Amino acid sequence: MTGSRLRLGCDVGGTFTDFLVHDAETGTTTALKIPTTPATPESGVMQGMAQLEWDRPGLAAELTALIHGTTLVINAILERKGAETALIATRGFPDLLETRREIRYDIYDIRQRFPEPLVPRHRRREVTERMRADGSVDTPLDQAEALATLRALVEEGVTSVAVCLLHAYANPTHEQDIARIVREAGLPLDVSLSSDVLPEIQEFERTATTTINAYVRPKVDGYLQRMEQGLRGAGYGGPLFLMQSGGGVIAATTARVAPVRLAESGPVGGALAARALADAAGHRDAIAFDMGGTTAKTCLISAGEIPVTRSYEVDRVHRFKRGSGTPIAVPTVDLIEIGAGGGSLATVDGLGLIRVGPESAAADPGPACYGRGGHSATVTDANVVLGFLDPSDFLEGAITLDVVEAEAALARDIGDPLGFTPLEAAAAVISVVDENMAQAARMYVAEHGGNLERAALVAFGGGGPLHADSIARKLGLRTVLVPDSAGVFSALGMLAAPPAFEVARSRPVRLAYTDREELAAAFASLSAEARAVVAEAAPGAPIRERRIAEMRYVGQGHQLRVAVDNPVPAKIAASFAETYRAAYGYAYDDLEPEIVTLRVLAESEVPLASVAGTRQVTSATVEERLAWDPTTHAMVAHQILPFDAVDGVIQGPALIGQPGATIRVGAAARAERVAGGWLRIDLPEAL
Amino acid sequence: MTEHIKDPADALRFQVLWSRLISVADEIATTLVKTAFSLIVRDNHDYACGLYDSRGEMLAQSTQCTPGQAGSTPTVMHDMLRIYPPETLEDGDVLICNDPWIGAGHSPDVFVATPVFHHGRLIGFTCTCAHHVDMGGRLGGTDAREVYEEGIIVPVSKLIRRGEPNDELFRLITRNVRTPDKVLGDLRAQIAANHVGADGLRRMVDEFDLDGLDALADSVCDRSEAALRKAIATLPDGRVQHEVAHEITDDDGEPITLCLALTIEGGAARLDFAGTSPQVAKPVNAVLNITRAYCVFPFIASLSPDLPMNAGAFRPVVLDVPEGTVLNPTYPAAGMYRSLLSYFTVEVIMGALHKIAPDRVMAPSGTYPLWIQKFAGRGADGREFVTHFNAQGGQGAFADRDGVTAVVFPGNIASTSVELFEHETPLLVRRRALLTDSGGPGRFRGGLGQETVLENCAAGSVRAALSGGRFHVPAPGLDGAGPGSEGAISVNGAPPFTRPDRVDLAPGDRVSLRQPGGGGFGPPVARDPERVAVDVREGYVSAVGARQDYSVVINPADGTVDQAATARLRGALTSSG
Repeated sequence: MTGSRLRLGCDVGGTFTDFLVHDAETGTTTALKIPTTPATPESGVMQGMAQLEWDRPGLAAELTALIHGTTLVINAILERKGAETALIATRGFPDLLETRREIRYDIYDIRQRFPEPLVPRHRRREVTERMRADGSVDTPLDQAEALATLRALVEEGVTSVAVCLLHAYANPTHEQDIARIVREAGLPLDVSLSSDVLPEIQEFERTATTTINAYVRPKVDGYLQRMEQGLRGAGYGGPLFLMQSGGGVIAATTARVAPVRLAESGPVGGALAARALADAAGHRDAIAFDMGGTTAKTCLISAGEIPVTRSYEVDRVHRFKRGSGTPIAVPTVDLIEIGAGGGSLATVDGLGLIRVGPESAAADPGPACYGRGGHSATVTDANVVLGFLDPSDFLEGAITLDVVEAEAALARDIGDPLGFTPLEAAAAVISVVDENMAQAARMYVAEHGGNLERAALVAFGGGGPLHADSIARKLGLRTVLVPDSAGVFSALGMLAAPPAFEVARSRPVRLAYTDREELAAAFASLSAEARAVVAEAAPGAPIRERRIAEMRYVGQGHQLRVAVDNPVPAKIAASFAETYRAAYGYAYDDLEPEIVTLRVLAESEVPLASVAGTRQVTSATVEERLAWDPTTHAMVAHQILPFDAVDGVIQGPALIGQPGATIRVGAAARAERVAGGWLRIDLPEAL
Repeated sequence: MTEHIKDPADALRFQVLWSRLISVADEIATTLVKTAFSLIVRDNHDYACGLYDSRGEMLAQSTQCTPGQAGSTPTVMHDMLRIYPPETLEDGDVLICNDPWIGAGHSPDVFVATPVFHHGRLIGFTCTCAHHVDMGGRLGGTDAREVYEEGIIVPVSKLIRRGEPNDELFRLITRNVRTPDKVLGDLRAQIAANHVGADGLRRMVDEFDLDGLDALADSVCDRSEAALRKAIATLPDGRVQHEVAHEITDDDGEPITLCLALTIEGGAARLDFAGTSPQVAKPVNAVLNITRAYCVFPFIASLSPDLPMNAGAFRPVVLDVPEGTVLNPTYPAAGMYRSLLSYFTVEVIMGALHKIAPDRVMAPSGTYPLWIQKFAGRGADGREFVTHFNAQGGQGAFADRDGVTAVVFPGNIASTSVELFEHETPLLVRRRALLTDSGGPGRFRGGLGQETVLENCAAGSVRAALSGGRFHVPAPGLDGAGPGSEGAISVNGAPPFTRPDRVDLAPGDRVSLRQPGGGGFGPPVARDPERVAVDVREGYVSAVGARQDYSVVINPADGTVDQAATARLRGALTSSG
């Protein structure tokens, strides 16, 4: 254990790379935001490291952990910029990726499409081999044929192969043989085995997930390798951790085997941070609201839990239709993403209605007011015209916003067709985008059966704090929480995530055929494995565990998670019956329960980087600026002050500035910085 | 929402309520899948879940469901209530029925409905229909002549009374079916799913402070009806006729014919099936509920796919199907394999629509009929098994795009996972791959069919009921396009079946199933030669097929288009034509 408790969270997003240094001893955080370097994201990280080191010499050497979230994986999939990938399948089964499950995701849409298979058919090869369901060998692997196939792929320019053979979850030998053949022949191929990536039954889901893994792995592998080298060069000697899509951080070495687990690495940080902040503020239910340049993301935190799904999809043909994408069957935070960000384009459709998004001007060329060649009206342009953004102080002065350009764009795209002034057009655009976001959030909450009664809205990201007041009012929420450093809040979530690791073993056994000793031994070995990983991330810290049996009645295909405190079969049977009854209303005496999978989740109890900082108040002159008031439909005077200067109760309307984010406090709302350092906005009861 | 809504606050509230209804219906489906015992429910998703108001009006259905069952749901509750009027229902009751004429046309589709009481008042129903793995009768009666051969029929009955299981009925059912543990398990899954849905409805009524569900039902049904009428009104008014001759013959040996006169008038579609073949002594008769399902489906699917589905959506499509025909058979017509015929209802409607709105339709599909295989026997552990295997052909092409390869349509059940299947049975799947040149050639190509080979690896024989079609009538192309490939079923390379049939598979026997391809759209010579080259590279079309069907010559060396030779071939075609 070192004396210092400095940790660094680093979130590489599509537009910006965010850094957050957290000092556990003082509770202080230092934030930094720099433009992402899309071609080589690691160089942006190194630039940021250099700047942090410049500001605080010796920082790199003092850091005890660096936790990293990245959009590299998801972008590689969405932009089809992965490796030249081939798929090796059992002879007779070349088309699993293309035939999918044959079911249609929208039964009433005759013209529905499916995503193009990530590996085209001419890159899908068969090898002679066959395993049976019980793991016995039906046909041995033809090793000579496999070698010839692999060599041919190398000659065609393939650099990565997904190996997904039938029943490899039951017996991985043939897959492992293929990996060995590649190694022994010294072939320049990156190999992803389905038995490593997702050792679970069901060939389509396993093949799809493994293929995506293979597609992104060379890119991620090289990236992480360069990152580790770069970090060592910068004087950082500690481990590099990555944020997983389902929460929990893992070591880079673990991440490199299965980068597919990093697909939602960035957003999960935001959800975790929002949960921690809501919890600190006494809210067990909350809505995390993260609005950036191209999209807004919403996650429902219910009774302190973040929803995690195993039926996550990427590359959806219809962004908002389940089943229209390619499955990644690994644990992933369940959030919704709406095409509504600062760069979202505003247009008038054929019916004379204003539409905002999902198309976006992105960072390049960006909104018209950026003056970088974009001429279409965007949400940011509307915010400038309405006086919500300070043209001279956007992104800490990195860009000077051009109000004239913004007005011109709004007039041309919205005002002229509808007979609105640029100001009216801007107000209409904001009202539409806020309504879109509120509506999507409302439906998502309804679908998840969530309860908004006592929920708080946790607003972050570049645009979240600006739109939160209006969205919370639309949702009928009374409280908005805005953290210090809202613009880099996701990076804080990475720090707030305790080092955690889950180890599972599938081993179906009827409860009647096992006993306490056997179960205890199985849990003990899982526990040792999980603890070792966590101990590596948090040396010496106490570790807590959750032991879970996934169970069902013999003959069923889906399991329920049952907490196991004492591995006595009779006690487990009783817990299962209780859990089953709670979930489905019935439990049965004449059916036999069985355990399918045992899981141990080990989690460090190390004090987390607290989202609660300290409230340090600096004095500043409170200024005034005219900005739009949606309640009176007029430009009214707003108090303008920096976040750090908020002392006592601020009565809206006000605009509070943070580096990289502006907080809008609407009319009749009261804002206060609480002792923990964050801003709490209390909204009036009636609109 | 496609219709015009005057008050934005109303519109918003409607959207929120609608979204919650779907979420409750989906929760029913999720519970069903999670608690079911058979693969056909938990992995193939052969089910439909619905919500009803206190009068039995259908409010909403689950996102994932199969249209045949879902299309039967608007009437099933009314039929059940005829037997058990609301005043005879009590909290804790659960109803059951698998009568083909009340339900979805064959005995395996079992409907289980739960009355939902709230503060002592009946507010509505949750209902699930699940395809059970077996309902007794002759195994996969591909040659049944009457419904009596197709398993036990449970008329509308109380399966549970005030929370107490009706043991006699449970015993009667489990004594009459194969693998009773799976059938019982799936019935329990339906009961649990309804229970979860009932809780969801009660929560919703409380949360939104609704006085029951009836007013909401009226509102959602009226909106859907109006929206579909508006969509149908975009078609030109008029009357067209179309007919499809099926490869299955009637009792006189003539092809079964589906005859349709379609009238579009003032936002309504009237479908008159006069002239359609009389019902047959074969298990392909489709009861009116099924016919209605597949008559409404094409209009929603091609005109208004986002339509909220409820009883109102069925009103603008008016059916006139003569009684005693294959599309409205009377008791005791057999109907176990009604999907062999009922899917062609969509083909005949698409054919008629093609004469009105050619850009809206799909060419005849290789996915008609449904292919579904049933196997029974004993596994290595001596236990009896009964299970299904599904894999489908290719969809027809459209006026502007290729047909989808290997997909289910118009029904909606997933293909069988090879790995799960092999866990349940001693059969081994030896092959599952697309068939080159199986998509109907056209300016836009039909979707590809596929081949599946299954081997009996058990020590004893396995009984199999093998069904599919297009054995000699392939899916025709539209507007000058070619047909998709024919389907074929054969055992050990013997001459293929001429009709769906039952067979005992000896150890080592291999069954080959070749699902047909979809019809193309537009003349093949109008297809961009570069797209043909891609098809050849990917193995969707062979080089020979490219030359013969598309008049495109591919350089064998590098797979590129031989422009000169192609121009010569296509030019010769034009000048000779």
